[in-house]
Amino acid sequence: MATYVLRRLIQAVPILLGIAVISFMIIYLAPGEPIDRFRSGRVSPQTIENLRRLYGLDQPLPQQLLSWMVAFFQVWRVDAWGYSFTDGQPVITKIAARVPYTLELMGTSLFLTVIIAIPVGVLGAVRQYSWADKIIMVLATIGYAMPTFWLGLVLKFVFAIKLDLFPLFGRHTYGDDSIGDLVWHLVLPVMTLTIVSVAGWSRYMRSSMLEVLHQDYVRTARAKGLPGSRVLFKHALRNALIPIVTLLGLTIPSLLVGAAVTEAVFAWPGLGGMGVTAVIERDYPAVLAFVMVGGAMVILGNLLADVLYAFVDPRIKY
Amino acid sequence: MTVHRSDRPLLEIQDLRTHFFTQDGTVKAVDGVSYEIGDGKTVGVVGESGCGKSITALSVMRLIEQPGRIVGGSVLLRGRDLLRVDDAEMRDIRGNQISMIFQEPMTSLNPVYTCGDQISEAVSLHEAVGRRQAWERAVEMLQLVGIPDPARRAKQYPHELSGGMRQRVMIAMALSTNPELLIADEPTTALDVTIQAQILELMKSLRERNRMAIMLITHDLGVIAEMADDVVVMYAGQVVEQSDADTVFAKPHHPYTTGLLASIPRLGEKRQRLEVIQGVVPNPLNLPKGCLFKRRCPHAMPVCDTPPPLQEIARGHLSRCWLTPAGEPPAVGPEATGELAEAAASALQAPA
Amino acid sequence: MEGTQLGQIPAKATTGAGQGAVDEVDLTPVRTYWQLARQRFMQHSLAVVGLIVMAILVTLALVVPTITGSLYAKTSLSLANHPPSLLNPFAPLGYDSIGMNVFIRLVKALQTSLFVGFSAVSIIVVVGITVGAIAGYVGGAVDNLLMRLVDVVLSLPSFFLIVMMVALFGTGNAIVVIVAIGIVGWTTAARLVRAEFLSLRETDFVQAARALGAGDRRIIVRHMLPAAMAPVVVAATLGIADSVVVEATLSFLSFGISPPEASLGNMLTNAQEFFYRQPILILYPGLTLILVVLAASFMGDGLRDALDPRQRVRK
Repeated sequence: MATYVLRRLIQAVPILLGIAVISFMIIYLAPGEPIDRFRSGRVSPQTIENLRRLYGLDQPLPQQLLSWMVAFFQVWRVDAWGYSFTDGQPVITKIAARVPYTLELMGTSLFLTVIIAIPVGVLGAVRQYSWADKIIMVLATIGYAMPTFWLGLVLKFVFAIKLDLFPLFGRHTYGDDSIGDLVWHLVLPVMTLTIVSVAGWSRYMRSSMLEVLHQDYVRTARAKGLPGSRVLFKHALRNALIPIVTLLGLTIPSLLVGAAVTEAVFAWPGLGGMGVTAVIERDYPAVLAFVMVGGAMVILGNLLADVLYAFVDPRIKY
Repeated sequence: MTVHRSDRPLLEIQDLRTHFFTQDGTVKAVDGVSYEIGDGKTVGVVGESGCGKSITALSVMRLIEQPGRIVGGSVLLRGRDLLRVDDAEMRDIRGNQISMIFQEPMTSLNPVYTCGDQISEAVSLHEAVGRRQAWERAVEMLQLVGIPDPARRAKQYPHELSGGMRQRVMIAMALSTNPELLIADEPTTALDVTIQAQILELMKSLRERNRMAIMLITHDLGVIAEMADDVVVMYAGQVVEQSDADTVFAKPHHPYTTGLLASIPRLGEKRQRLEVIQGVVPNPLNLPKGCLFKRRCPHAMPVCDTPPPLQEIARGHLSRCWLTPAGEPPAVGPEATGELAEAAASALQAPA
Repeated sequence: MEGTQLGQIPAKATTGAGQGAVDEVDLTPVRTYWQLARQRFMQHSLAVVGLIVMAILVTLALVVPTITGSLYAKTSLSLANHPPSLLNPFAPLGYDSIGMNVFIRLVKALQTSLFVGFSAVSIIVVVGITVGAIAGYVGGAVDNLLMRLVDVVLSLPSFFLIVMMVALFGTGNAIVVIVAIGIVGWTTAARLVRAEFLSLRETDFVQAARALGAGDRRIIVRHMLPAAMAPVVVAATLGIADSVVVEATLSFLSFGISPPEASLGNMLTNAQEFFYRQPILILYPGLTLILVVLAASFMGDGLRDALDPRQRVRK
């Protein structure tokens, strides 16, 4: 297992390199120059030239790419990912400061998604074509079709404006650092993210369970004389969860996107909002770091999915 | 004829009807099937795929799934109608008095539990034994079915075993509770020929040891010849011929049975070509009127437009065909005598 | 799962002695693949509903903006905050806070969304088929290289990359949005086509075409592409829904289409500003989006059932 993980991590390096090349190409092909944001009447051409040298923009592109890549992996150094164009802070510390905020949003939502979607999906599968199943499927289909940001707006309107139950945006009330206040602020963004992902997950769980319920070994279990609940929970559910566990790793990227949009709607101070701002501000060091971190998350999510797979399915050995 | 241990046979299937209500119409997968299995007897049920032999077995176990439903008849186990007992009682019978093994050993075992787990689960379900005892029984059973190094194998997952080994595990699981009846649904079909022979040998020896009855479902007459005391031939949801094995092989009556027998290649026999039964199994949604086999039958006659009854043509030998016991077309007319001829004559006169 | 066994009857019928009379032959009509596919699609009632809804939406998006011209961007402050009224056929949804006709603007936004959705999917399909066909047909080192490229693109944080491209190459430009979605989205189609091509390459009909001296181009275009199209059609239909949502999200975050051009996303941004005065304005663009997504995914599901013969085995 350890060698497998190591091999996968080594294989990730060329992929990250590819991501870096693509990002560099996009920036290079885009009209204008990264330091254009510093140009103005009051900045002398000499200063601009100095800036270009400072950021290494005077060097040939492959050279730039290489030195940037080398620096990127030295994550123990504060300046590894460069300094932000907007406030001069090291990008790595800026990103690190935001990670916990995004994690509390994503983590809560993921947890709720799992404990809601699995029972709902199982219920739909076991009572296939019943009224309960039809209602679940209709709600899940609509939930799946709802854009995250729109749902956020609607929830915000209903619960924050009309009913005035929860705050409109932000992570805490100024001057109040209590847990209660944080939870109060978390409710709407988490609800937004959770509704959308429960819709997707319960559909997935339902079809996975349906597939398993038609397997021969479920019939074997019934032929043994096991009661329905044991057949369902011991024999069927255990197998139906296998693809769900892998989904856990694979949804990390899409959860990140959902989180970014939700953060924008509720002004949550997480990574997503920061990324959007970085792009608007043309803060290139931050933008590049974001693409790389995002890519690393996708790769690690895939790896996590495969590792979890080996844990839950005895047929998989690495 | 052997003497039964009790006055009633172990299992009596009476006029069983199991229908599937599909979008396209009702499929009468089992349509009025009756046969019985005596204590310690092996009954071979033969027929092409889709003839209803497996559905009959699943109906006995009450394991029919949507859109199928048992719509009529009864299944008596020592006189108790299984179709009328409640779910808890039925669960108690399943895997205990009646066990079942399936065609696909590759998919019939749960991939995420060890073989030992799956066998001991059946044991502890039906007997008041502890975990350790149940596990010991599982290992014992694995030894009994001829699996080498059973203690180690019990800890392995199904995917670590070959197909033949897995079928042995299935048999071990089925027999772990000493059932009176084993239903074996194509137990050797998915296996290599040499493994097939081993599994059949194993079933034979275990049959002697446990003195259990077997309902052996197969489309392979070779397997029947090897194992069965009695034979039930099924076609399109009905029993078409039924007798002891020797009679069926020596003096088959129904043209379908004759066709099945003629299509077996025999070693050392010089034949230009193998006989085949012409035509295909009728569409279950669009069964022919009258005899279901008439479109494929080399003896098809006008009288076949009327469904023939299942009749005793000799002692203990039933056949669903208008041919006379001697295999002649039924004589119709004033000179005709006998029940069959009369029935045929009245059938011909009646508007079809 | 039954192989050829002793005593088994061959499935193929042969004519010969003993066959029943002519009037008893089972006359199940023979249907072609496409007839069967259409029949299966039509049996899928949700798919038919999806198709009808999509047809209505497309018709609306083509007709209404053509008639109303540039009215979608016209502001008339005297009409501002005019409430919705079904009695007013010209403005059934009323006017927004700066006096724009909400219905006309909504249909124009729908047009933009559908345009972006269909165009982005066209790019995805063209690039995906090209890459997949080359990889699957040529194989070897070329295949290897292209599949590594697919791996890289699949590992891209796609949404963020789209945001980046749109921001750098021109915010507010529909073409940039389309190209950006296309660039990150082609991998699925490429993998599907490649997989089909790899298996088709060895099939008898392709070998036969090759034996008859058909050129590569002819083999690909005439023999392999049609066979490989089914999964691509399904993926493309489902891709329309994704693209429309991505565009709306971009526009909502003010990267995509910006006012005065109309997009479902920027209408929502706009509605957010008038949250207190006219909350109903967040409803229309949202429901329209949901309608488009549902219609496309129902059609996609129906097409999958209709076109993928492997699904037929399922009961």
